Amino acid sequence: MSDFVPTPNPEEPEDPFLLRGRVALVVGAGDPLGRAAAVGLAEAGADVAVASLRAGPQEVVRVNSVANEIWSLGRANTAITLDASDANSVDAAVARTSSELGGLDILVNAADLPVAAPLDELTPDDWHAILAANLLAPALTSRAAARVMKVNGYGRIINLVSVLAARGVANTSAYAAAHAGVLALTRALSQEWARSGITVNALQVGLYEGQHGFGDDPETVRQVARMLPAKALVQPEDVGPAVVAMAADSGFITGETIAVDGAATARV
Amino acid sequence: MAMPDRFRLDGQVVLLTGAGRGLGRAMALSYADAGAKVAGASRTLSQLEETAELVAERGGEAISIATDVTDRAAVEAMVAETIDRFGRVDILMNNAGGGAEGDGSPLEQLTDDQWRWGIDMNLTSQMLCARAVLPHMTERGSGVIINVASGFGLRGGRDNWMYVSAKAGVVNFTRSLAVTYGPAGVRTNCIAPGIFPHTPQALERWRGGRYIPVGRAGVAWEMGPLAVFLSSSAAAGISGETIAQDGGGLAAIGPTGWAPRVRLTEPT
Repeated sequence: MSDFVPTPNPEEPEDPFLLRGRVALVVGAGDPLGRAAAVGLAEAGADVAVASLRAGPQEVVRVNSVANEIWSLGRANTAITLDASDANSVDAAVARTSSELGGLDILVNAADLPVAAPLDELTPDDWHAILAANLLAPALTSRAAARVMKVNGYGRIINLVSVLAARGVANTSAYAAAHAGVLALTRALSQEWARSGITVNALQVGLYEGQHGFGDDPETVRQVARMLPAKALVQPEDVGPAVVAMAADSGFITGETIAVDGAATARV
Repeated sequence: MAMPDRFRLDGQVVLLTGAGRGLGRAMALSYADAGAKVAGASRTLSQLEETAELVAERGGEAISIATDVTDRAAVEAMVAETIDRFGRVDILMNNAGGGAEGDGSPLEQLTDDQWRWGIDMNLTSQMLCARAVLPHMTERGSGVIINVASGFGLRGGRDNWMYVSAKAGVVNFTRSLAVTYGPAGVRTNCIAPGIFPHTPQALERWRGGRYIPVGRAGVAWEMGPLAVFLSSSAAAGISGETIAQDGGGLAAIGPTGWAPRVRLTEPT
């Protein structure tokens, strides 16, 4: 076991939810949750790099439009395309964020590759692709970001996962296993970097309307919503402020998973 | 104040128990900073009045109500007085509680009265406050309840009986409140603080130690922003949830700093 250096107390900030002067990288910013995170962080005053996972034309348009929203909020930004399961590509994205925006304080992993099929139909190649996009990607981005964060002794890593990480649904074996893996990643890295000023937390998001692959079917959406106390699904916009709260935290919350699911996992 | 709008509580009224010292006093200041009026309650009026003075120094408004939170009539009078003075209750912060005589003793030596007192102080008190304020909240169709549990509500402790049982009860009481009163517009969540020492000397003793992964104990003010976040519309998607603020303790197992290295080996 390594020796520990004393950790100082944090200064009480004038405004506990302001991120002025902080730089964030949001991976998967073309997805609704990633967009909400990026816009929320910019509203709180952070400069934000938005990264898209896929280089497809629609994705590029989506990410550029998020970059424009950040610009219209008066914050610096940059749009990046990366292959989040390729270490070189990830390292280059972090380096570009750092050089263009002047550092890296906050990493949001919002990349999400939804796949649902019975286990019998999932090939090993499917598994590799699902695990690469949903689990290896946040590990690689965290690794690259933490190299920068350790130098500054400050970092906030926030992993967005699906509620399927905690509850079982048929046909989601690989996807759910990958997302549950992200929660284990969150806990392990919270310990690995506990003395480096880096916190690692997860937001476990309930089914939301329009969620690609899971929230497309209106009948399913209606039935799931009916089971929630508020009788309505969570909105992607609810995730933005939760990301801000974790990004602005004083550093005593780490390794924790917070459900943003309208009490879906609170009930029997 | 530049705090993002969704985190503000301007014009709202928080009823905060255990407001005379420690975490309760710190939360009173954070609530006031966020724009809320504070009705502080506890057994000791002089301590409450000190809290109210500190709130006033920061430009806020607070009243003091002497209350025994284990006494149904006193709790009902506390809620009535808050509504009488401030016109409404938007947020109930169920913070009162504490160590019970008999915890730390072998179970065979525990008296029935010690058990009842510990459960009354840490669990029944929160039920009494919630029950007294809910008719008001459901009638208005909105409200937030936040219960304070503990890391000891999520794991057991040697010779710890009432405190762990009551705090675990608080965690699940939170879920049923969320499920039951969500349809009426009331969100309920729970904070599980780790170690937040009462004195600067005690705070210093934890620094650099191995028990808390981040290498320090919590500072009282750190709980304020989390309470404000959960009380505000920024947490609209969060209900029935318990958030550990414990320096990474819940995510950990074994001694802090345990970092094994095991090489990938070929099968022999």
